[in-house]
Amino acid sequence: MKNLYSKGEKAFATGSGILLAVLAVASLLPFLLIFMASITSEESLIFNGYSFTPKAFSLDAYHYMLAQSQVVLRAYGVSIFVSVVGTGASLILVSTLAYPLSRPDFPFRRVLTFVVVFTLLFNGGVVPSYIMWTRVFRLKNTIWALIVPNYLMSGFSVLLVKNYFEKAIPRDLIEAAQIDGASEFAIFFKIMLPLSVPVLATVGMLTALVYWNDWINGLYYINDPSLYGIQQLLIRILDNIQFLKSGAAGMALGNVVVDLPSAAVRMALAVIGILPILLIFPLLQRYFIKGMVIGAVKG
Amino acid sequence: MKRTTLTLLSFLVAACLLLIAPAAAQSTEPPVEIHFAFLTFNRVSEALESVESAIDEITVPRINVKVKLHPYSIADYAQQINLALQSGEALDVFHTLGDLPQSVSQNKVRDITDLVDEYAPDAKAVVGDFLKAAMINGRLYGIPTYKGAALAPNLVYRADIMAEIGIDPATITSFHDLTAVYAKVKETHPEMVPLTPDSAGSLGLIRSLHGIDFLGDDPFRLNNVGALIGDSLTVVNFFESKEFIDTITLTRDWYNAGYILKDAATTTSNCLEQLTGGKAFSCIASYSGQEAYVQISAQTGRDIRMVRLGQPYLTTSAVNALTWSVASTSQHPEAALKFMNLIFSDRDVINLIIYGLEGRDYVKVDADHVRYPDGQDANTVPYTAQLSCGIVGNQFIQYAMDGTNMDDLKLWDYENKNSPRSPAFGFTFDNSGVTNEVSAVQNVINEYLPGLSTGSMDPEVELPNFIAKLKAAGMDKIIAAKQAQLDAWVSQQQ
Amino acid sequence: MNSRKRTRLKLKKSLPLLLMALPGLAYLVINNYIPMAGIVIAFKKMDYAKGVFGSDWVGFDNFKFLFSTPDAWIMTRNTLLYNLAFIVIGTICALVVALCMNEIKERFFAKYFQGAFLLPNLISMVVVSYIVFAFLNTDTGLLNRTVLPALGVSEINFYSQPQAWPLILLIVYLWKNTGYASVIYLAGIASIDPTLYEAARIDGAGKWDQIRFITLPQLKSIIIILTLLSVGRIMFSDFGLFYQVPMNSGPLYSTTQTIDTYVYRGLMQLGNIGMSSAAGLYQSIVGFVLVLTANYLVKKISPENAMF
Repeated sequence: MKNLYSKGEKAFATGSGILLAVLAVASLLPFLLIFMASITSEESLIFNGYSFTPKAFSLDAYHYMLAQSQVVLRAYGVSIFVSVVGTGASLILVSTLAYPLSRPDFPFRRVLTFVVVFTLLFNGGVVPSYIMWTRVFRLKNTIWALIVPNYLMSGFSVLLVKNYFEKAIPRDLIEAAQIDGASEFAIFFKIMLPLSVPVLATVGMLTALVYWNDWINGLYYINDPSLYGIQQLLIRILDNIQFLKSGAAGMALGNVVVDLPSAAVRMALAVIGILPILLIFPLLQRYFIKGMVIGAVKG
Repeated sequence: MKRTTLTLLSFLVAACLLLIAPAAAQSTEPPVEIHFAFLTFNRVSEALESVESAIDEITVPRINVKVKLHPYSIADYAQQINLALQSGEALDVFHTLGDLPQSVSQNKVRDITDLVDEYAPDAKAVVGDFLKAAMINGRLYGIPTYKGAALAPNLVYRADIMAEIGIDPATITSFHDLTAVYAKVKETHPEMVPLTPDSAGSLGLIRSLHGIDFLGDDPFRLNNVGALIGDSLTVVNFFESKEFIDTITLTRDWYNAGYILKDAATTTSNCLEQLTGGKAFSCIASYSGQEAYVQISAQTGRDIRMVRLGQPYLTTSAVNALTWSVASTSQHPEAALKFMNLIFSDRDVINLIIYGLEGRDYVKVDADHVRYPDGQDANTVPYTAQLSCGIVGNQFIQYAMDGTNMDDLKLWDYENKNSPRSPAFGFTFDNSGVTNEVSAVQNVINEYLPGLSTGSMDPEVELPNFIAKLKAAGMDKIIAAKQAQLDAWVSQQQ
Repeated sequence: MNSRKRTRLKLKKSLPLLLMALPGLAYLVINNYIPMAGIVIAFKKMDYAKGVFGSDWVGFDNFKFLFSTPDAWIMTRNTLLYNLAFIVIGTICALVVALCMNEIKERFFAKYFQGAFLLPNLISMVVVSYIVFAFLNTDTGLLNRTVLPALGVSEINFYSQPQAWPLILLIVYLWKNTGYASVIYLAGIASIDPTLYEAARIDGAGKWDQIRFITLPQLKSIIIILTLLSVGRIMFSDFGLFYQVPMNSGPLYSTTQTIDTYVYRGLMQLGNIGMSSAAGLYQSIVGFVLVLTANYLVKKISPENAMF
């Protein structure tokens, strides 16, 4: 096989590697800057400015966070649970809807696809959803409120999976199975799913990112601090800081002089928000890349 | 017949209860549960129930009301209040956040004119003429938070540097005196910035102008067109006034001379951080009383003093920004008011809400002062809402944090009662008839005001553009509407 | 008679498929369709005591504020141009990254690169705005304190230079989103039948020809789907990107004001949810009409790639 790769192809591969390496470094530089800021002393930050090589170090920001480590750790736990369960449930819902829509002989295909796309273009606003999820389904202040509303199934994922089912899986396979008398469910579970690992890995990863980044559900449905996810926790801290710094604070609070987390703490917050991702990500990626490779071989 | 049996029965039950728990048996009816929402800047507590039951122990015997506390952080507050009102979730008492007129015109809050005397007489008595600020068209919609509302503009400065440059702070009486001070600071400490913004986009100079009433539809930001200047009852465009033009021209001169932080319009670090970092010499901020520098010194680790650049001036929006109201959807307005009455008049109730449980969440230093228990702070105690002290009810019956000078609190109260008031004190502008113009004008003000008021925009060039765009956005219609409402209000007063 | 029988048979045959689709459809009905009743609020004067459905109708009054401003043109232009740039340049960048990623056979590097590209997607826009500020601000920013002096350039006050921001926002957008989009294209590339490439190589096709004649045509349908969906959101903008990242700086409005930021700034003080719903509805309807048009065109040109 090797001789099949031409010189040009090898050059292309090398070029790709170099380009990506440069881009990757550029992509990470801002993180290095905030990390450095988070370990810079407050005085130095204000006097000498932001720098990759800070003049005075300080771990104060992390001490500040450490004092709240219990809260932060629990928030990680919530976020991880929500991301894992939400992604799993979402994959089931998405693929079972995408499969019928991908079948050219399914009579409601076009109508139902439109039904899916329409949800991506219009939304009815917060209040009716809120009433639905809190009064009918009683999700308020439960962990399910972080999982079920809004993100459990995105029309976008359905379209991606449907497209993959249509384009990447030979129709002969389905027809042959049908002739053999396989049921639709058997076809779905025995043929479609195993052959769709790459797209499921992709959609799973994108869904997990959405769950991890979400704070909207927490804003609407969670008041109980023990159910805050990490993004909700960070958003609340950052919003507090922003408000207290605005002119509004003087009016609202009167004379209270608030000891705000400093610029360094804000940067530390950002670092802490992404730290576990750096730890978990390689694990997730292993499955992701494995999925892609399997798919490439089988497809 | 039935009713007598019932009464008899409940009498019996009450009698039994009286034997078991004498405190809980004042009333024959089961206690009403009310939901009480407020803004907190502390960590939202997970120990609410313990505080709630401590409050219930006081309120059930006295007013037969139980309470559920809903502290919300600023990220949630407005959203949660709106959702609760719209979805019919239980919510009885909450406070406005600078939006009393809108809350009234959108019917978020209940008219309590006919209930207040019966159910919240103490609260009414405490706030005095502040009550006028919560009245619209002669009807009462809430009770303003009672705290140090009379804010005076202060120069907050580094005392060590001031001594070094040899200027006697007593000679500084208005911000016009500061040019000479800043010139000296710049000369002796070129590495420092003489003046940093109090908050992004605001140097505090405009707030220190005396006798301006913005007839505020938005007390949190100084972005209203149409103001009263001095004793006049004619609404004028503030941004065309001599006061405004003089101020921004001076600011521009300072900016060009390097006296002002270059990023003043957008900076993320506020005055305290700049003082801590040793970069700033001063900022201009409004405080009630004269002791805020003690806290600022403690926090910045610098020797900070303050000097007043003007006197307090009370306008409606300075008072009604935080107004305690009964939700229009509340099923128990009477109980809600009874509870509201207590947050203005009952020391134990308000201190439970602000500081939590004695011994666990705070310890007393003396009759008036408290501190966190040893080894604990605001982030580690199970419950505290200490930063809401200026938000909930009556600040003057709350404990103060250790180190607070109680004489200063007396000054706050004195100035609340005795500071000059705008001739339109008690007038509230309802902007619901000019929403299209307000939304357009807001955008224009946001575009120009921070730049002009921090000196980074050249008034010679940009002020005419600003005025022209305001006019195009419908400013005159807003001013006319304000004037018409004000005239009606004035004739109503006579 | 005969045809009806056939229809019935067809229905019966598709019953299992319908059953499979049911849970997903039920979710869409509950989560998306029933709440659409809330759209009526755009036509009402909200009265909290009467509730959403009991409030008085006001016709199209709530929409007027979007058009009664001299800035209507600027904010619409900005929204459309940024979205166009994001669609075109964003797609090209994501494709390039995906194509290059596909060449990386070393697991370690593949993982490292992917992680590096996805990481920016994991932080909120507030944090992004702090990072951008750390680079750009005049007093303490990295560029003005370290980079520009080294180049002998005098300091630049970025937050009052509107002409710089289209580029800055584009860079921030690409930094934050390219990794995410490239993952989708990478999955598309992985699904291409490898025998196609082998055949092409035997025919002596170079890498460039393979990309042009195999990869891109195979990715066409997915590119079209993503583009159509972006067209549907063309009147919307990422609020954080246009509000937080420029630090709400007034002098920048001529190049940073979008419909969403205008609505936010305009309504901050009014707190009028009827007006904000009206804005959202207007944005959705324009997007919807554009998507229908675009989909119709796609259908004309290559029917198999149309979305519905």
